[in-house]
Amino acid sequence: MLAPRSGAQGKTESACVSCHRARSETQPQTPMGRALALPGANPVLRDIPKLTVRKGPYNYTVETHGGESTYSVSDGTRTISIPIHWNFGAGAQTWVLERNGRRYESAVSYYPSIPGLDFTTGDEDLKPNSLEDAIGREIGTPETKVCFGCHASNAVREGKITLDTLRPGVTCEHCHAGTTTHLADSINGDFESAPPDLRKRTAEDISNFCGQCHRSWDTVVRNHWRGELTVRFQPYRLANSKCFDGADPRISCIACHDPHVDVVRQDSSYDAKCLACHSPSAATLPGSSNSSSAPLTHATVCPTGKSECVSCHMPKVKLPNGHLTFTDHQIRIVKRDMPFPN
Amino acid sequence: MVLKWMAAVGAANKEMRTILRGRLSRHKGPHLLLTLFFALLTCRCAAQADPASFSDFSSRATAAREANNVPGAIELYQQALKLNSQWSDGWWFLGSLQYGTGAYDAGKDALSHYLEIIPNAAPALAMRGLCEFEIAEYEKSLGDIQRALALGAANQPRNEKILRYHEALLLTRTGRFEDALRSYAFFTHDAADSNPELLLAIGLAGLRTALLPKELKTDQQEVYLSAGRAAFDFMEGDKETARAEFQKLFQHVPPVPNAHYLYGYLLYASDPDAAVVAFKNELQLDPSNSAAEVMLAWIPLLTNDGSTALPYARKAVAQDPTLPSSQLVLGRALTEIGDPKAGIEYLEKTAQLQPDNLEVHLALAKAYSKSGRKEDARRERLLCLEMTKNDTAPGAHP
Repeated sequence: MLAPRSGAQGKTESACVSCHRARSETQPQTPMGRALALPGANPVLRDIPKLTVRKGPYNYTVETHGGESTYSVSDGTRTISIPIHWNFGAGAQTWVLERNGRRYESAVSYYPSIPGLDFTTGDEDLKPNSLEDAIGREIGTPETKVCFGCHASNAVREGKITLDTLRPGVTCEHCHAGTTTHLADSINGDFESAPPDLRKRTAEDISNFCGQCHRSWDTVVRNHWRGELTVRFQPYRLANSKCFDGADPRISCIACHDPHVDVVRQDSSYDAKCLACHSPSAATLPGSSNSSSAPLTHATVCPTGKSECVSCHMPKVKLPNGHLTFTDHQIRIVKRDMPFPN
Repeated sequence: MVLKWMAAVGAANKEMRTILRGRLSRHKGPHLLLTLFFALLTCRCAAQADPASFSDFSSRATAAREANNVPGAIELYQQALKLNSQWSDGWWFLGSLQYGTGAYDAGKDALSHYLEIIPNAAPALAMRGLCEFEIAEYEKSLGDIQRALALGAANQPRNEKILRYHEALLLTRTGRFEDALRSYAFFTHDAADSNPELLLAIGLAGLRTALLPKELKTDQQEVYLSAGRAAFDFMEGDKETARAEFQKLFQHVPPVPNAHYLYGYLLYASDPDAAVVAFKNELQLDPSNSAAEVMLAWIPLLTNDGSTALPYARKAVAQDPTLPSSQLVLGRALTEIGDPKAGIEYLEKTAQLQPDNLEVHLALAKAYSKSGRKEDARRERLLCLEMTKNDTAPGAHP
């Protein structure tokens, strides 16, 4: 079992900040930057030292003393307690637990909307047959790699889990491969080895790039995931939109979202992004400077309004457990009582 | 080789035939309607045929069948059907009786008549597929059995075992070895199924040998049995035992073709690095093994790494241009490195060869999307969603 090193949780990427100050300062504070918290660096558990919930015959408790948290499950006669080393998520939180050489996704998670514990999303139907089963869902090596590969940096190298080199959260090099070489070269005034500019990729490529963690269209289809839970997988939902054009930069993930800052929650702030296509003059908008060979076109102009487009066309969807709400990225004309489109 | 499990399959076959036959007799309601329909039909045809003759033959055929007078029943059904070729029940009972007596060619014909009248009848498709299997019409048999499965013929555990086993045998016999292995995985849920007949069949698929177990020479069986046992244990989840069995297989003199390939294929989803080593070991023994080249391209493609995949994909296509999976990996690799137009050429060819391969359509959706062919990409995406809507077994396979 590997206990994590205490790391520079949430601190600025010191090497990058000298040139890329603004982004290096804001990115570690984003939910992606805080996607994994190490013991002692978890504000949720620090602020709520005891969380409990009863689920069927089992009592779950998460207790924190002096920066160390413990996850316990009890059936009334026996209790299993496991130290929490890995806190996944910046808002809602799930714990990856280790016991007797096995890893588990905790059966219960913390949801700020309650605020408290409830079943981990997607694991509601698990029927534990024993106290050991009730710890959570056992995860094998491939899934563990995916968990740490997305919520941390340097956790997977050459296909192997390397928790001893892990840095919590998504750091610069997580997305910008080759930063180490770039850093060394730039000290000598050589900027040729700068990591590729992701903004130059096609919308399809960006969707697949972000989809490595947020789940690409292919991943969701291959795994046969269907239903409202897929609203969590934005690249999949976006690609299902009629307007999705993999060669048009105006529909790329990073056309609307800057991953270096917190996601903008104000609906009106996205209007310009929608009108980049859905306006009579769209074809002459700045998108024309794109390097794609596909011609930019304008799309249908909304007869109802020109502001807060996303409030109608990208509805908010509450997951079946009622604790998490996501914006549906399948852009569409939403009709009353229409079922969730799969 | 008469083996325990084959005997079980034989018994199960008989049981399925009973179930399939019983299906019609149990559904009295529709049959009363059908009988009424045919009664009306024969009345209308009274001027052309003697209605009493058809009625007489059909009722005597039923009586003979119920009295277990199979040869008599077959004769009477044939007479009745000469007078009324639209009598679907007649074709069904004639076909199933002929199948039961081993008259597979005739049974196939009778069931084909039945399917002309009722095209999507899953039990009839299943039974025709089993007839075709016996007369070595393997492609047709596979098509019928897969269609029967899609239409719900595997509605009972016994039926499902028989049909899936035959499907896997046929996939192997027609050279779709990886699909066969995935079908055999169904049997690893129950260790009781691990009998020599099944292990031999898995060994044939695993070692990429397009034969049925009965076609294998006796002196070749041992090595296939060993490979099948190792693969069964791996798929059942006992990876340590499987690893030891594979190590033993690797020591075999002379080397067993495709043994390393099989181990790599089983490993690639859970341990791609170890799988790469296994595929490279296979290539050391046989540098012309294009299936191993395909898998060495496929593994990096799982993480959209086209550059690593490309040389293997090019080699696979050069070695075996007719192999659909080599076209697929080259098409995908070209798409990933930023040349979707070139990729589309290969992917469209693959789609013609393997229209039911989900991976081809996933790759086409991406290639069209990257090249700005929005409508084509959308069409492929909708097709992928349609293809997977009832499917429950996730995975990525070339």
